[in-house]
Amino acid sequence: MLNLVISNEIMAGTVAQKKSSSEQLALLKDCIHRVATQRDREAFAQLFDHYAPSIRAYSLAREPGADLVADELAQEVMIRVWLKAGSYNSRLSNVNTWIFTLARNCRIDYLRRNGLFASEIDPTTIFEDIEDDSPGPFQLVHQDRLEENIKTGLEKLPKEQSEILRKIYLEGKSHQQASEALKLPLGTVKSRVRLALKKLQVLVPR
Amino acid sequence: MDTIHNHPDDELLASYSAASLPLSQALCISAHIEHCDECDQKLKRLNQVGSQLMHQLKPSPPSADLKNKLLDRLDSITEDPVKEQSGPSDSSVPRCLRQFIRTGYQDVAWKRISPDIHSFELCRDKNNAKVELLRIKAGGTSSTHTHLGDEYTVILEGSFSDEDGLYHQGDFLVRNSSRRHTPVATQNSECICLAVTEAPIQLTGLFSRLLNPLIRRGYA
Repeated sequence: MLNLVISNEIMAGTVAQKKSSSEQLALLKDCIHRVATQRDREAFAQLFDHYAPSIRAYSLAREPGADLVADELAQEVMIRVWLKAGSYNSRLSNVNTWIFTLARNCRIDYLRRNGLFASEIDPTTIFEDIEDDSPGPFQLVHQDRLEENIKTGLEKLPKEQSEILRKIYLEGKSHQQASEALKLPLGTVKSRVRLALKKLQVLVPR
Repeated sequence: MDTIHNHPDDELLASYSAASLPLSQALCISAHIEHCDECDQKLKRLNQVGSQLMHQLKPSPPSADLKNKLLDRLDSITEDPVKEQSGPSDSSVPRCLRQFIRTGYQDVAWKRISPDIHSFELCRDKNNAKVELLRIKAGGTSSTHTHLGDEYTVILEGSFSDEDGLYHQGDFLVRNSSRRHTPVATQNSECICLAVTEAPIQLTGLFSRLLNPLIRRGYA
């Protein structure tokens, strides 16, 4: 009997792991919907469990070892999720991408408030357009499919190209800073970004 | 509206999508995107690249009490009211510029820098890039100049031309330090641009009349 229970649990575990990413996306979307419409704290807790580790990793990619900063970013992003769940349109925008844009915007905002990105320019209004999802020709079906393509495409990318993308997207380096960090000419940095985007076929209109 | 022909290149858009550009440059791209559906669509795709990169990182789970502390706070959290202060929604000023320009371009404290050109400095970025509006009167010409650093320009209203072509509202241009150019506003209307210069413009002054074919053709 005990054995049976255990094997059931193992089976359940395998099933959960094999759960296709589209099913997982549907689950996460449902959580956001429940937060938006019912202020559902349990759904919020699920979203936290799913996303907080990635948000922390994103923060640590830029500031290795800064554990408290990572916690703060995770909280800040999840607060935005709580506040903005109602404005997230699940038919028009991929949920993972929505979380990424929130994390990116919070990180830039945090860096500025703490003088690490000192500027008289308020980044909030620069990037806020990106969060809202005006309907366009680029609909969700395409986005979810593109997400799969990018996922597999990134794995096949030559190391030197994915490395540049990580410097820019995760470590937040400008082309100039990436060229200094990798001791490469600026032109090489730019052409590797261009090649990577071409290989990923992100900018090919469908 | 005229079709936009001049866009930021893909690698610049990618840096914008990653928020790894100096904010002064990000400001120009944001102003362009408000006018340009094509780049807006590209941006949404580029954001997905960022999203995948982030979600492929090795997860770093928070300590157990972070979630509970946050759950305890949830009821006391309200939207930050400061966000709503941007200008009137019917304003022709791009959203990203309303932090500097409350109403419209007419109410800006323009400073005359030549008979044809007025400028209004919005701010300096941390890399000392100058962020300014330029207003060139109809048919007016800017002196020929080169730059010590790159210059980013977005046309907000009207149109202008230089040695390389004719540009309309929404067009985005980068001119680098090796280039010498002379913007001329078109005859029928004044031109207002957002310009970001990484280092002060170097005027080539006296030589401009000799070097610039447009002026010789009588535009000046």
